[in-house]
Amino acid sequence: MKNILYLILAVTLLSFAACQEIDNWDEPSARLFGNVIDEYTNHNLLMDNNDWQIRIIDRTWENNNPGTVAQFQPLAVMRDGVYNNSKLFSGIYDMLPYDGPFWPVDTVKGIILDKETQQNFTVKPYLQLTNFTATLDGTNLTLSCNVKAPIVTDLPNLYEVKGFLSLTTFCGNSNYINIGEYNNLRKSINKTWAAEVGAADSKDYTLGPFPVKSGYTYYVRIGANVNALSRRYNYTEIVKVVVP
Amino acid sequence: MRIMKIKLLLFTFIFGLAISSCQELELQPKGILGEPELFGTAFGVQKYFVQLYMNLPIEDFIYYADQGYKPGNNNSWQAYKRSLAGMSGEIYGWNVNMFEAGVGYWPYDYIRIVNVFINNFPNYKDKYDVATYNSLMGEARFLRAFFYQGMAKRYGGVPIITEVQDPVTTSAEELQVSRASESDTWKFIYDDLKFAMENMSETSVSGRANKFVAAALMSRSMLYAGRIAKYTQYLGFDADEAMQGGFIGMDPSKANEFFQYAYDAGLFVETGPYALYTNNYPDKASNFANLFLDKSSSENLFVKGYDAITFGHCYDALMSPNPDFSSFIGAEGGPVLQHMQLYDFPSLIDEQGKPVRFDKRSDIKNDMEPRLQGTCYFDGDELRGKKFDIQRGIYVSYTGTAEDAQSGSNAAPINSAANRKLGNKGQKYNNVLITGNHGMFANKGGENNAFMGAFIRKYIDVNLPTNLVKVNKSSTSWIVFRLGEIYLNTAEAGYELGKRTEAFNYVEAIRERAGCKVTLPAIDQTVSNTYGYPIEAGLQFIRDERGRELYCENHYWWDLKTWRIADQVLNNRYHRALTCYYVFDEGKYIYLDEVNRNNRTVTAPKRAAYERIPQGEINKNPKLLPQNPLY
Repeated sequence: MKNILYLILAVTLLSFAACQEIDNWDEPSARLFGNVIDEYTNHNLLMDNNDWQIRIIDRTWENNNPGTVAQFQPLAVMRDGVYNNSKLFSGIYDMLPYDGPFWPVDTVKGIILDKETQQNFTVKPYLQLTNFTATLDGTNLTLSCNVKAPIVTDLPNLYEVKGFLSLTTFCGNSNYINIGEYNNLRKSINKTWAAEVGAADSKDYTLGPFPVKSGYTYYVRIGANVNALSRRYNYTEIVKVVVP
Repeated sequence: MRIMKIKLLLFTFIFGLAISSCQELELQPKGILGEPELFGTAFGVQKYFVQLYMNLPIEDFIYYADQGYKPGNNNSWQAYKRSLAGMSGEIYGWNVNMFEAGVGYWPYDYIRIVNVFINNFPNYKDKYDVATYNSLMGEARFLRAFFYQGMAKRYGGVPIITEVQDPVTTSAEELQVSRASESDTWKFIYDDLKFAMENMSETSVSGRANKFVAAALMSRSMLYAGRIAKYTQYLGFDADEAMQGGFIGMDPSKANEFFQYAYDAGLFVETGPYALYTNNYPDKASNFANLFLDKSSSENLFVKGYDAITFGHCYDALMSPNPDFSSFIGAEGGPVLQHMQLYDFPSLIDEQGKPVRFDKRSDIKNDMEPRLQGTCYFDGDELRGKKFDIQRGIYVSYTGTAEDAQSGSNAAPINSAANRKLGNKGQKYNNVLITGNHGMFANKGGENNAFMGAFIRKYIDVNLPTNLVKVNKSSTSWIVFRLGEIYLNTAEAGYELGKRTEAFNYVEAIRERAGCKVTLPAIDQTVSNTYGYPIEAGLQFIRDERGRELYCENHYWWDLKTWRIADQVLNNRYHRALTCYYVFDEGKYIYLDEVNRNNRTVTAPKRAAYERIPQGEINKNPKLLPQNPLY
């Protein structure tokens, strides 16, 4: 019995001695933040929570470890068009807003990240959704807006115009009331701009009526997308609808 | 004392003998077959090829949509809970999840095994006559092409390895090979298969390939390649790095070249000894069902065999309900109404939009295409001595249109608890059973519960007694290539090449055998824009014909992918169910078109056009970058 105790003690002591070298990396503490700005409105892009990401690639890693290829890590963008990550290693980064509802942008190379760096991106959304109205008639909700394509040349097919209803302030493709009754009210289009709209650069869409329940508060918006990459939506602002 | 001494001497003697017995230690082990034994005789080569045939990328009864190929007998029983047919929306069951990122398929170990053969087999050329030598070499090239097409249909361009790499003497730099362009990858597959078609023998034992099997693989692969070349441009991936580097997608002008290869390969197959299966005429429904059971079918080019002893699968145990037809957990999925309605299907509503009244539940089959009856079991059909008995519930009365039922929603006034009676097995309303014996039960999960209103008949082994319908007891062969598919490949490739009449002649042959009402429809050249690209109605008809003929044969997912429409067809798509009700006050039956009871949908994201290059492989070989789009 005593022997066993000694043995356990010896093993325990040994295990303490096993890691002499202490990890000498500082915790990542640099902060990278900024806004994604809609070129047409000069405000932050209207979007949904973590709808698409900014890809960042740490080039310092490649330089310090020859022969390796650094791969991107995604930075989430919040629904107000702001991104903020305070746990990154200092270094030189390339950044690319990717797969968002805007015309492709070029990679911004050689951003030096040291403690705090702000990097804003200005993007050209595929579509602009304006004049959003939500009209309540009893328990029927009708949504309408104007969809405009600032650049029509080479625009991918206009894919769909869809109303999003949510019971929380989070409203968009990642959080909405996903039921057939509502989904079937979307306008599935998938045509070129010329075939759908013609020569004009904008068109009004009305969706609904969505049957809603009295006594509930809804947060609603419209999204429209084109057939590019993952078909992310361009949104209107979110409007609060209280059903009496 | 004396005895001790003798014992000691004896021990010393024996011990001495024992340690002196192994002087020569460098001996060839006799149980291992080396290259001369394996490559020197046709039997040795056959043994060598077994491991490759076992692991070919064939999506059969034991393919998992989420875990991939599980060859051998150690695959657990759940393959048809997580099947490709479930993922592509053909059947509705336990799993409707999307595994578009793939299963990390990366068979360079097997490609290495083939390459060893291709590189070293010429050393044994003098041991064979010319025909045998060429045939074996062609077979190796066929096997290699099979592995490559398994990757190309997933990833687009992949590294092309034709030499055996030596990991000891080669530098890491050289071991890491970049991806070839997608077009080069498909051309490489073409070259291998062309060689195989020219050199392989005309006949082979079941389960082994011959020149017509190579042509069949050519027909399928080149059709995929043609579609990819023609339709990738509509995905909107143009700005993506992988697309710009040519690793995915091809120049649309190359499409016709590939379609021509597919068309020619189809004609080549027709010179072989194959014919559409018609043994059970005039009963075209049974004939179609037996086509998948008859191991001597004239339609089969290449099958993957099971015997339920060495290798068995669990398909029967998972596709028909327990306990009447299965001694295991029973049915895990059923056919989706959207797919049933692709066939000649009776109208469920009359001119006023009211549900059609049927005297018997099985009357639904009166106006139905025989091929669909051979594909699915409906109420009243017999299997293993028992009859299918499927009904969802009772309407006390049903006066309105089918629309009034609002796809089965509880909120519809006509579906109030007072008017629509749902229940469980054995429950009665005014002495009339509410449900059938096999569903649909109100408070039970999906297993053994005819959620979809029908069960799958294709590949169900009718000769297996119910007590043997268990795990790994099914012995039906998986048909890898059959003439029916080749006809449809040729038809589609032909139509894409502008040979519309020839294409529809193949369709006519298929529809004649299927027992369709109209075997040769008029060729409709109206262009529509359903998927965001122009497509003629005639071509859409051929595509739909694949949906009918090859239903549940694990083609549909790859078809959707290569037509580049997976994200458009499977876009919030509700699986719809065929539900039967008894209308109490009339004494008749109606069939409704309802949303599946769990309100589940299937959605494929845009990136489903390609799978993700496995991250583990990229870590080993960064030259595989760029990653496919949107991963």
